Amino acid sequence: MLRLSTALALVLALPASAENFKFAVTTDPQTMDPHAVNSAPVLGFLNNVYEGLVRRGKDMTIEPSLAVSWEPIGEGAGWRFNLREDVTFQDGSAFNADDVLFSYERAASEEADTSSWFAPVSDVIKVDDYTVDIMTTAPNPIFPDSIANWMMMDSDWAAANDANRPDKEQGNYATLNANGTGPFQIVSRAPDLKTVLSPHDGWWGEVEHNLTNIEMTPIQNSATALAALLSGDVDFINPVPIQDVVRLQGNPDVQVIQGIEARVIMLGFDQQAGAAESGQGGADMFLDPNARAAVAKAINAPAILQTIMRGNAEVASQLVSPAMRGYSTANAAAYAYDAEAARTLAQEAGLDGQNISFKCPNDRYLNDEAVCQAITSMLAQAGMDVTLDTMPVSNYWPELRADNFDMYLLGWSPGTLDAEHPIRFLASTPNAEKRLGSWNFGGYSNSRVDALLPMIQSEIDDSKRQAMLDEVAQTLQDEVAYVPLYVQPLVWGARSGVDVTQRPDNFFILRWVTVE
Amino acid sequence: MFSFIAKRVGQSVLVLLITGLVAFSMFTFVGDPIDNMLGQERTMEDVERLRQQLGLDKPFVVQYVRFLEQAVQGNFGISYRQGRPVAEILLERAPATLELAAVSSIFAIVLGIGLGVFTAIRRDGVAAHVIMSASLIGVSLPTFLIGILLIYVFSVELGWFPSFGRGETVDIGGWSTGFLTVTGLKALVLPSITLGLYQMTLIMRLVRSEMLEVMRQDYIRFAKARGLSNRVINFRHALKNTMVPVITVIGLQLGSIIAFAIITETVFQWPGVGLLFINAIQFVDIPVMAAYLMLISVMFVAINLLVDILYAFIDPRLRGAA
Repeated sequence: MLRLSTALALVLALPASAENFKFAVTTDPQTMDPHAVNSAPVLGFLNNVYEGLVRRGKDMTIEPSLAVSWEPIGEGAGWRFNLREDVTFQDGSAFNADDVLFSYERAASEEADTSSWFAPVSDVIKVDDYTVDIMTTAPNPIFPDSIANWMMMDSDWAAANDANRPDKEQGNYATLNANGTGPFQIVSRAPDLKTVLSPHDGWWGEVEHNLTNIEMTPIQNSATALAALLSGDVDFINPVPIQDVVRLQGNPDVQVIQGIEARVIMLGFDQQAGAAESGQGGADMFLDPNARAAVAKAINAPAILQTIMRGNAEVASQLVSPAMRGYSTANAAAYAYDAEAARTLAQEAGLDGQNISFKCPNDRYLNDEAVCQAITSMLAQAGMDVTLDTMPVSNYWPELRADNFDMYLLGWSPGTLDAEHPIRFLASTPNAEKRLGSWNFGGYSNSRVDALLPMIQSEIDDSKRQAMLDEVAQTLQDEVAYVPLYVQPLVWGARSGVDVTQRPDNFFILRWVTVE
Repeated sequence: MFSFIAKRVGQSVLVLLITGLVAFSMFTFVGDPIDNMLGQERTMEDVERLRQQLGLDKPFVVQYVRFLEQAVQGNFGISYRQGRPVAEILLERAPATLELAAVSSIFAIVLGIGLGVFTAIRRDGVAAHVIMSASLIGVSLPTFLIGILLIYVFSVELGWFPSFGRGETVDIGGWSTGFLTVTGLKALVLPSITLGLYQMTLIMRLVRSEMLEVMRQDYIRFAKARGLSNRVINFRHALKNTMVPVITVIGLQLGSIIAFAIITETVFQWPGVGLLFINAIQFVDIPVMAAYLMLISVMFVAINLLVDILYAFIDPRLRGAA
């Protein structure tokens, strides 16, 4: 009798569906090809299936993955990676240096969306079956950090399935199928409907999760996703709408996991002389740094966070958040709110009486439209006449590319999690040939910043590098190149008893999930 | 007769071509798909190269002609988002929408006629008044609100039905059906009610008013005088004669149930063509949007063509007039 009741208690303690884990995402990864689309939904999901030479740990630091160790070689000529032995792909074939060479050629090819990661690479050399040298054109201290999402594909598998290069437009075998070395393999995939994963038995790592079957379903409507979590149809959703956080916190069946993302939300300005179209702002009003400073001082960022973000975000002072490598602690003070000073500055800079055209997306960042409306009324209080124009993101980027703005909202999440990244894309003078400043829509340009960037990229000494990063941060702040507003919050929802790890890159890593 | 049909078919094709042209001229306003297809670290050169590869640098008329050339060969292009042939995706999604439309039509017809007859016969009863007032809610509440309400009550609070999706499906020769599993059937309940509620109230009110009209006719009085039972009078004589306009309306509504399943499918994450279309708009997936819009317009044009031809059969005067 006693034995029976113990057995019964054991059975009751283990709910039948415990290891069957279902989660909902807003955006279905558009491809299973790790080199075809460089976007967070794709890379975040594929990090569970494919692996790179290095990977990011729970605190975002770089740790060994398919490489057990690496060291710089030849006075900054490149890096040597010592590969892990006895690693197998999910189809059973072995991983070795040939796969690294193939994955380099594939990911750096013109057809790939990841080729920019390999711009500093001059050559990849196979030393032996488990040693690879990656040579760089200049010393590159952050190279291992920059390839955490460069995932290894089996050369034989790709050749056998005619997927030697990614194909964004037509799709190929690797678009729907995957064969990585990672902890989970794809059992079935119906794009936009359901993707089923199971653990990869031959995985080299130590298993921390207790999942046996995983289902990912895209749910676009946030109210439906929330209902699915509350009714127990899914175990995890990302994101939870900000306005529902308080309500969920009062519910014992679910938990809210909050943090801040790597994404900084900021304002940008048209700083090109005579570039703006007539009728779209027209005048070069933001060429004057004082005009930009007037905007910076007129915005009460803490108030925006308190009301629109319900206290779930942090004020930003520079283009990266404090969690990023190379963050400038010397420049940690954000622009102070001072409506009176803003009014005077705006008058001096000749902003009064001019109509400022403010463009803003309405489906790209959390509560983006509401934030822009708040900014518009704050600027109005400081005597500025702002016309706000919000639109879906698919219309937004073409509008910015066409220079149809005086001021715009932008969010930036550095792919390398390093302060160098936004300098390259946002603060460098646009230069198509050198692949610089490709998101610098306003055309901010400072020759000192341009000169510092290659030095930052090749500086091996950490303190010298930080000094240069500090100088850039200081310059950008002094010249009000951008007005950083806040770091976007990250809000996940899970059923009670589900243990997950949240990282600022908003990747949902399944090997850290345990279910009670 | 032949020349009449040929003329009507010709007109229908013209309507289709114009619809397509209007659709293609609108796509530029939906936005630019390039940024959705490329990642953060793209360069302006990448953007231009992809634009050329997809032919988006050409005027919309050229894009439209190219689409038509391929469409007549049965090729609807490759989805920008999924990298798969659009025809394949549409075929995969169609069963979900068609099954949902079928179940909600049956729900609307059976309940609509039943309640219509009931409220007509017991027109002064309390129940009839309650049903008539409640039906106002069905007509006036927006679909997404009804959907959210149903999810909240029956999924979140009571836990009777799933909050989203189709449940388990069984694949029969390429047709995935939810009719053969318990979870599949359960999943159909809430979306079908949401989608069919408006049509149901419409049919109910129509049946009721037609019924009241018919009940005043002389032959019903004679039937009563003959001492026929109420059941026979109501269903054999009265209802039969109300059905002509009702069937016309039902036929026309079927098309709109399929076309306007978009909102219901979004609220319930129902994996049909409507949800596909919404996702395509967000991503600016032009091949999917074009194929869906053409399919829906073919459907409506075909229904109208059929109705026209049927009328002509019934009324010979129309043949000459056309």
